[in-house]
Amino acid sequence: MTWRTVARQDGKLTADSQSARLLLGLVAFVVLLAGYIYPMVTQPPHTTARFPAFVEGAVTTVVPFVGVLLGYNAVVSDRESGAIRLALSLPQSRGDVVFGKYLSRTGLLAATLVTALVAAGALVVYPFGELALGRFALYLLLAVAFGAVWSGIGLAVSLAVATKRRALVVGVVLLFLFVLVWDTLEQGVALGLAAAGLAADGLPAVAEFAFGLTPGRVFSRATVAFVDPSRGVEGAWYLGGPVALVLLALWLVGPVGLAYARFVGSDLS
Amino acid sequence: MAAIEADEVSKRYGTEQALDRVDLTVEEGETFGFLGPNGAGKSTFINVLLDFAKPTEGSASIFDNDCQADGVDARDRIGVLPEGYSVFDRLTGRQHIEYAMASKDADAEPNAILDRVGILDDADRQASDYSKGMAQRLVLGMALVGEPDLLLLDEPSTGLDPNGAAEMRQILREENERGATIFFSSHILEQVEAVCDRVGILQDGELVAVDTIEGLRASLGGGTKLVITLDRLDDGVIERVRGVDGVETAVAREDSTVEVTCTNDAKMDILVELHGAGVDVVNFRTEEASLEDMFIEYTGSR
Repeated sequence: MTWRTVARQDGKLTADSQSARLLLGLVAFVVLLAGYIYPMVTQPPHTTARFPAFVEGAVTTVVPFVGVLLGYNAVVSDRESGAIRLALSLPQSRGDVVFGKYLSRTGLLAATLVTALVAAGALVVYPFGELALGRFALYLLLAVAFGAVWSGIGLAVSLAVATKRRALVVGVVLLFLFVLVWDTLEQGVALGLAAAGLAADGLPAVAEFAFGLTPGRVFSRATVAFVDPSRGVEGAWYLGGPVALVLLALWLVGPVGLAYARFVGSDLS
Repeated sequence: MAAIEADEVSKRYGTEQALDRVDLTVEEGETFGFLGPNGAGKSTFINVLLDFAKPTEGSASIFDNDCQADGVDARDRIGVLPEGYSVFDRLTGRQHIEYAMASKDADAEPNAILDRVGILDDADRQASDYSKGMAQRLVLGMALVGEPDLLLLDEPSTGLDPNGAAEMRQILREENERGATIFFSSHILEQVEAVCDRVGILQDGELVAVDTIEGLRASLGGGTKLVITLDRLDDGVIERVRGVDGVETAVAREDSTVEVTCTNDAKMDILVELHGAGVDVVNFRTEEASLEDMFIEYTGSR
């Protein structure tokens, strides 16, 4: 059970570090700001079940960045310095170290997200809004899972590469691809296919599915399907809620699981 | 039950053979010195024991726990001073000891340990500001947490001044008297000679000798070294000495001095041979072969 020791230690150090506080503060600020302006800039009814649609853009942009930046140096910086040799000289496994760090960093992000979302929910409900408790609780769960996906991706990068610098580069490239240019890429492919006369009315099913695979898209579809009553799920079954949940679960365990398996089997330096 | 058991451990990095079928048993309660020049594979062997590296072939165990399959159990009863480590960032010396206590689930008095390794005064400073020698002391302190049954130390005196090295040896002696097995690697012979019951000599990944220091002496021509000063050193004299039965090595030094390692019985034969060669023996003394002589003998290097 020494992953507890690692988690406690790492959590304390991460929470004490200025950069981590700044990142987590950014998450809280963006979510609270959204909660504050939501009743002002949208038409009623204001409910905590519709609020997720409003905050979606902010969450799917900020959380990935914060998740990756919290996770990318978790293991690789210790590996680069040699501190991991000291940690692994003690009776704790590589799994203990990785799991402890994953837990501490994901936990900090999750705690920040939940606190901020609950506070934002209060801003939505008070004074004229409406509380949809069950749906909002479900949204909190999905948001925590989404945060865990991205801190997991950050940790996976940290496990997979040899230097902190490379981890940062790979992490930023992934963010750039999945968060910043994905929509543009999709439009580009759609326009290209249309110009070539291959797909006049939207993307073919395979491409549509493929473009819908990113964590952000999956998270959004799950939110639409299970939280927001105003938006229905349209389109094919593979873009529906249950598939989105499965994909979210795959994102949750896939990257970090694969990177961990590789890490466990490799020699240190 | 052996403290350390290595069974035909080999490790290849690409085409380089870092360890070549190392067979070694370290019994409980002994102090074992692991000797070899830099790059001989000492750290690779310790890395295998700590599961930092997986052996290409063979297996190793600590107190019957396989170092790879049951790494956590293998490390449960040991204290380690690894090579190439760095202290944890943003933790004080005291917090390092407390971390080791939490991880080993052991009770200890941090102040007592910090005092024992001589860094109590700096206990509340960030360990990342420590000098190399202080870091070595701190990590030795972490290793001592929980009264381990085995201390596994990779070049423990690195970064220590002679005083520090002596204190380190004293701690190792005390731990051994408490009942702990000590296994440490070094390329510094005096340290090994001073504290070890047995030594193993590693050369190019191969374990070329494992024995007590006396045993090594005995295997090296009865451990006798003759230092003979002649009135002059004619051509062919060294060759004639080498031809005497029982002579292991014969080396010409400056000032017409010859150093010969040989079996005890061969001493007189050598003198007779020199007389026969027509050179006069001006001075003559015997020395006990030092570990360094043996080391050079075995590894052909300093």
